[in-house]
Amino acid sequence: MDRERVLRRNNVALRGTPGAPPMALLHGFGCDQGVWRHVAPAFESTHRVVLLDHVGSGGSDLAAHDPVRHSRVEGYAEDLVEVLDALDLGAAVLVGHSVSAMIAVLVAAQRPDLVQRLVLVGPSPRYVDERGYTGGFSREEVEELLETMDGNYLGWARSTAPFIMGTPDRPELGDELTGSFCRTDPDVARCFARATFLGDNRADLRRVRTPALVVQSRVDAVAPPAVGRYVHEHLPGSELVVLDAVGHVPVLSAPGELVEVIRRYLASPVLALPAGDPART
Amino acid sequence: MTAAARGSWDAAPCALLTLSADGTVVAANATALRWLGRAPADLVGRAALSDLLTAGGRIYWETHLSPLLHVERRVEEVALELRVPGGRLPVLLTAVAAPAPGAPLEVVHAALVSARERVRYERELLAARSAAERSAARVRALQRVSAALSVAVGVDGVAGALLGTAVAAAGAAAGTVWVADGHGGLRARGSTGEAPGDCPEPAAELLGRGPGGELLPGGGGAVRSGGGRIVVPLRGHTALEGVLSLLPRSGPAAEPLDAEVLAAAGGQGGLALERARLHEHSALVAHELQRSLLRVDPPDDPRYAVATAYRPGVEALEVGGDFYDVFLPGGEPGVLAVVVGDVVGRGLGAAAAMGQLRSAVRAVAGGGTGPGRLLARLDRFVEQVEAAAMSTVAYAELDLATGLLRYACAGHLPPLLLPARGPVRLLWEGRSTPLGAFARHGERVEAQVRLEPGDRVLLCTDGLVERRERGIDVGLELLEAAAARLGRGTEAASVRALTDELLRDERGHDDVCVLLLTWRGPGVGAPHAPAAGAAHAGA
Repeated sequence: MDRERVLRRNNVALRGTPGAPPMALLHGFGCDQGVWRHVAPAFESTHRVVLLDHVGSGGSDLAAHDPVRHSRVEGYAEDLVEVLDALDLGAAVLVGHSVSAMIAVLVAAQRPDLVQRLVLVGPSPRYVDERGYTGGFSREEVEELLETMDGNYLGWARSTAPFIMGTPDRPELGDELTGSFCRTDPDVARCFARATFLGDNRADLRRVRTPALVVQSRVDAVAPPAVGRYVHEHLPGSELVVLDAVGHVPVLSAPGELVEVIRRYLASPVLALPAGDPART
Repeated sequence: MTAAARGSWDAAPCALLTLSADGTVVAANATALRWLGRAPADLVGRAALSDLLTAGGRIYWETHLSPLLHVERRVEEVALELRVPGGRLPVLLTAVAAPAPGAPLEVVHAALVSARERVRYERELLAARSAAERSAARVRALQRVSAALSVAVGVDGVAGALLGTAVAAAGAAAGTVWVADGHGGLRARGSTGEAPGDCPEPAAELLGRGPGGELLPGGGGAVRSGGGRIVVPLRGHTALEGVLSLLPRSGPAAEPLDAEVLAAAGGQGGLALERARLHEHSALVAHELQRSLLRVDPPDDPRYAVATAYRPGVEALEVGGDFYDVFLPGGEPGVLAVVVGDVVGRGLGAAAAMGQLRSAVRAVAGGGTGPGRLLARLDRFVEQVEAAAMSTVAYAELDLATGLLRYACAGHLPPLLLPARGPVRLLWEGRSTPLGAFARHGERVEAQVRLEPGDRVLLCTDGLVERRERGIDVGLELLEAAAARLGRGTEAASVRALTDELLRDERGHDDVCVLLLTWRGPGVGAPHAPAAGAAHAGA
């Protein structure tokens, strides 16, 4: 696939300083690159900031959605590898929110040359509980989410339907909000939801040799603190920071605190990986 | 809040909640408390809105609604379910963030309206829409399967069409078609997404096998699953023709395979397999019939050598009506007859007519009939056997003692003379119309040419030279050129070289018959064992 098609497919936008170290901001399930509106500007003076929409979200090319490829988080990771290869900016800081934290982990495991550091905001490698592991949800509860989503795609329940545009009685929203934020095609959203919430990427954590920061909200109903700790403990050489924020989207609810934490981490020396790690080659 | 305002707040027919920026409930009206069955102390300052929702709603709030409130400051008419004593209460949530956009989110005002009836109605609509979409998708999938099966040729073609459409329509990761071998067993006949060897043979209990392991005629009635695979029976009218074994996709987002679509596709596939199997069988019978009809057994004689070749056309698996023959006509010692002909049409009917016409040639030849009168008698024969009418025939009689070749062509390609010395040439004399098309009975022209020892004569059907994209004259020129380049190998080797060259770029649509006769001369004493007599070459 040629460069232009890859970049168009993922609605890739480049901001910030040309030639500066690259940083890719990766939105989670339910959103698009607009979720980074309060975070991206903070890094534009120091980084070449890459924004993108996963296939099926925001301004991505819906026609590129492949029910097979995108039925697994790995498919989105392949997309991201193609984007980074197409951009050819060198090893980047990957900041992944929610499911994109695991997408970034997969990319770092497969193509460490593309990733300088990982920042994982609200990561969860497995949402469904299993014996000996608490992800926070039963399988039935995940099915319930799909029902809830379906229920909100019928015509009159428009909050997340893809066709609504800005409300005429609130002109203050301006052009910035095209009405596409958090809105996507129902079938695609269902596919993305299943890939996100039914996948299991725990085994991928220990394949990563890239320095990583795990950012966890104090209270998070989707990726609880125990899951953040699990990721930190199973990701060699990672650091864990717990934000004072509440909710799964500190990217929007606590952007100032999140920016500070990321800046501090990027300025700090990298933790040495544990010596004698058998998986290290 | 004034007492009046407080009264209105509490009496509102909807649940009103005020949330802090992190979603914690900081105020709730009486309706909200009543619905939730909670005392204010259990709720206010203690719980977040997402805690009041079902798990699905909670994720939805966190991943969609909370970001929307931050960015768009408002969500409207979102369908959610509250966890209430005794079950769930469907509600529609509308919420606005304050203060205005631009400032950090401080407080959210939320109103939740009971939506039991509306949600019930909505669910019915949703179920109806899903059912309609599902059936439309099924119809589309089956149309694709039908379209592919309708143009599939042969058992392998049907297997390929099923793999190409049913596997994709069902959303399977891989599939293999197993075809019944007629002896109670199954053989893998094609795969997609996996190697045929990777697909385990469908287990007996999925097929309905009898005690001896044989496939039961009524077995394999339904789509079954087992061993991690879905097994779709491919039933014909009377028996299980095969099975389609599918490997479901393993991704977490993979939808389960649609058994109804698979059962319907399997039904169509089974009938198509049956048709293909029967068709291949009848094609095989026709080819066998044709080969047996074409058997020649001329006696060994050192004065001549002959080689023949027959290549069946492959299009539509049908046999054609091309034939050749070599024989000694009765009552004319020392004369050898050779004939190549072409009966109009294809299939068993044409093959049968060819057999009759070929026998008729033998019956009327000899006793001094000669080529011209022989064709005239065949004209009368095809009046009786209509299927042989309009056949073309090239017939020649060689006097083995003198080398005199008498010949006649009824609408057939002219014989090609390949002299031992001198240029090749087509024998254009002795020509008349195809059998049954002759206006005046009893008059057919013939011609003759005297062969020198070592001269050869080639008879062939038009499949050797005729192509859709060029005229027959061009084909004949190419034949002459190719014949001129032939060395003096055995007759069989020459026939093979000629057919190889002329059919090299031809995809085998038409039948081809070729006969090459050499007159070795009158006085050859001892038999030339290897080269003499008949040799047969397949092209």
